[in-house]
Amino acid sequence: MADIFPGPDIFPAGMLPSLVEMMAKIIFIFTMNMGVFAPLLGWVERKQSALMQDRIGANRADILGFTVFGLLHTLTDAIKLLTKEDFIPEGADRPLHYLAPFIAVVPALIAFAVIPFGGQYDLWGHKTNLVIADLDVGVLFVFAVASISTYGSVIAGWASNNNWSLLGGVRVAAQMLSYEVAMGLALVGIFMVYGTLRLTDIGVAQENFLHWGIFLQPLGFILFITCALAENKRTPFDIPEAESELIAGYFTEYSGLKFAMFWMAEFLEMVTISGVLVALFFGGWQIPFVSGAALARLFGFLGPNLAQVAVMLVHVAVFWAKILLWIFILMLIRWTLPRFRYDQVMKLGWKIILPLSLINILVTGLVMLLVK
Amino acid sequence: MSGAYKKVNRGVTLTLWERLYFPEVIRGVLIAAGHFVPNFVSVTKAYFGGKPSDRKIMTIYYPEEKPVLPEAYRGKPVLVRARDGRGKCVACGLCEVACPPKCISIVGGQREDGTRYPVTYVLNGAVCIFCGFCEEACPEEAIVMSDRYEGLCEYDRKPMVYDKEALLVPEEKLTRRLDYIRRRMYGKWNY
Repeated sequence: MADIFPGPDIFPAGMLPSLVEMMAKIIFIFTMNMGVFAPLLGWVERKQSALMQDRIGANRADILGFTVFGLLHTLTDAIKLLTKEDFIPEGADRPLHYLAPFIAVVPALIAFAVIPFGGQYDLWGHKTNLVIADLDVGVLFVFAVASISTYGSVIAGWASNNNWSLLGGVRVAAQMLSYEVAMGLALVGIFMVYGTLRLTDIGVAQENFLHWGIFLQPLGFILFITCALAENKRTPFDIPEAESELIAGYFTEYSGLKFAMFWMAEFLEMVTISGVLVALFFGGWQIPFVSGAALARLFGFLGPNLAQVAVMLVHVAVFWAKILLWIFILMLIRWTLPRFRYDQVMKLGWKIILPLSLINILVTGLVMLLVK
Repeated sequence: MSGAYKKVNRGVTLTLWERLYFPEVIRGVLIAAGHFVPNFVSVTKAYFGGKPSDRKIMTIYYPEEKPVLPEAYRGKPVLVRARDGRGKCVACGLCEVACPPKCISIVGGQREDGTRYPVTYVLNGAVCIFCGFCEEACPEEAIVMSDRYEGLCEYDRKPMVYDKEALLVPEEKLTRRLDYIRRRMYGKWNY
C-alpha cells in the first residue's frame, strides 16, 4: 500500500479492512432497500391485498407466457414511471417542487444506517460490527431523520400550488407533530429498561429470549407500533393522502419518477419501521433460545473464522426474515383497517397514546425501582 | 350552544371491549390473515402444476379459462339439426310471433314427402334480445338457446344476420340444453 499511497497518515494501517467493511455494509443495505424492497414491496402489496380480499391480483404482464406470479408488473411499473411526463403545474414553486421528493426519500434510506442487521463478529482478526453507523444516540437519530422526511411531504404540499396538496401537507405536519411526541415517549420505557440508546447494545441485551423488548415493554410496543403506522402515513392513518378526500394529498401534482419517489419513500419507511421494531422489540438479529456462542459451536467444524462467517450469515438472514414478517403484518394492518377521521387521529394521538406512554414510563420506573 | 345540535343515535352500542379498539383490531387482522393464508396456499398449489380449480378464489382467468355456464344460460339461439341431418323446424311461425323484437323471419315450404321445412330462416342477431321466448314457443324443440356467448359481436350489422346454415347445430351438441328444457320448462308449464 505504501507504494501507491505515499505519505504518513493518508492511509494508516488497518484502514483498508475498515474501509472495505464499511463499503460492503453500505452497498448491502442500499441494495436491500433500493434494489429489493423498494420495487418488490409494490408487488407484495398488490398480491397480498388481493389474496386477503379473495382476489388474484395483477397477473397479466408476461414474458413469453411466463407471468412469474405477476412479478413482471414491477418491471412494467418502472418502465411506465420512467417514460411518463414529468409534470410541474403552472404557478408551482419549481425549485421546491423539484426538491420535495428527494427530501422525502433520502431520510428513509439514511435512517437505516443506525439499525444493526447483525452482531459483532471477529473475522480474521478484524472486528466486524454489522451496522453502518454505530451511534450512541441510535434511536434519536432515527427520529431526527424521520422528521426530516416530513419536510418533504409538507414542502410538496406547499410547492404544488394545489388546494388538495396544501391540505395534505398541512395534515402531514399536524399528524407528524402529534405522533412524533408520543413515539419518542413510547420508547423511553425501552431506554430505561436497557439503559442505552445504542441500537447494537440493545440488540446484544436481547440475547435472552425473555429479555426481548416485546416482553419487557408490551404497552410500549403497542404504542410504538401505532405511532410508527401514523408516521408511515399508510391506511389507518392515511389522512394526508386520503384518496377519497384529497385525491392523493400532498403528491397530487406529481407524476413520473417524482411520484415514484414518494411511493418509494413510503415503502422504505415501512422497511425502516420494521427494522426499528425488530431491533428494539424483537431481538434484532438474535434467534430465540440460540445464542451466538452456541451457533459458533454448531459451526465449529468450519474453523474459527469460517464459523464466524456462518454465524454472521445466519444472523443477517434471521434479521431480514424478521423484517419480512413485520412488513407482512404492517401490510395486513394496512389492508384491514379503514381510515381514521381527522379528529379521531388527533384524539388518539394526544388524548390516548400520549397519556398512556407517560403512564408506561411511570410504571416502568416503579417496576425497575422495586426489582432493584 | 349546548342542546343546539341533535344527537344522532346510530343504533350502535359498543361494549367496553369493543371500545378499547385494540382487541378488535387484532380480531380484524386475524380475519384478514385467515383469508390470506388459505388463498396463498391454494394459489401457489395451482401455479405449480395444480389444476385451476385448486384455487380457492372465484376469479376465472377469462381468455385462458372458460367458465362452466349454468344450463339455464341463454346464449345465441340456434336451430337443432336432428340426427338424420334435417332441421327439426317445421316453419310453423310460432317463434316469429313470440319474438318480442321481431328478429325472426321465416319462409315456409314443403318437401316431397309432405313434411314442412323453412325455405329461409333468418334470425337477426343484432336485434335479438336473448329472451328465449322462441324456445318456449317452439313445439318441435327446433330452436333452443345455446351456451355460445363468444363471437356474437361484429363491427358491421350484416354478419350478424344469421341465415339457416349459420343457425343449424347438431342435436348432439345441445343435449344438455334439451334435457334442461324437457325437465324444467315442460314441468313448469305443465305440458
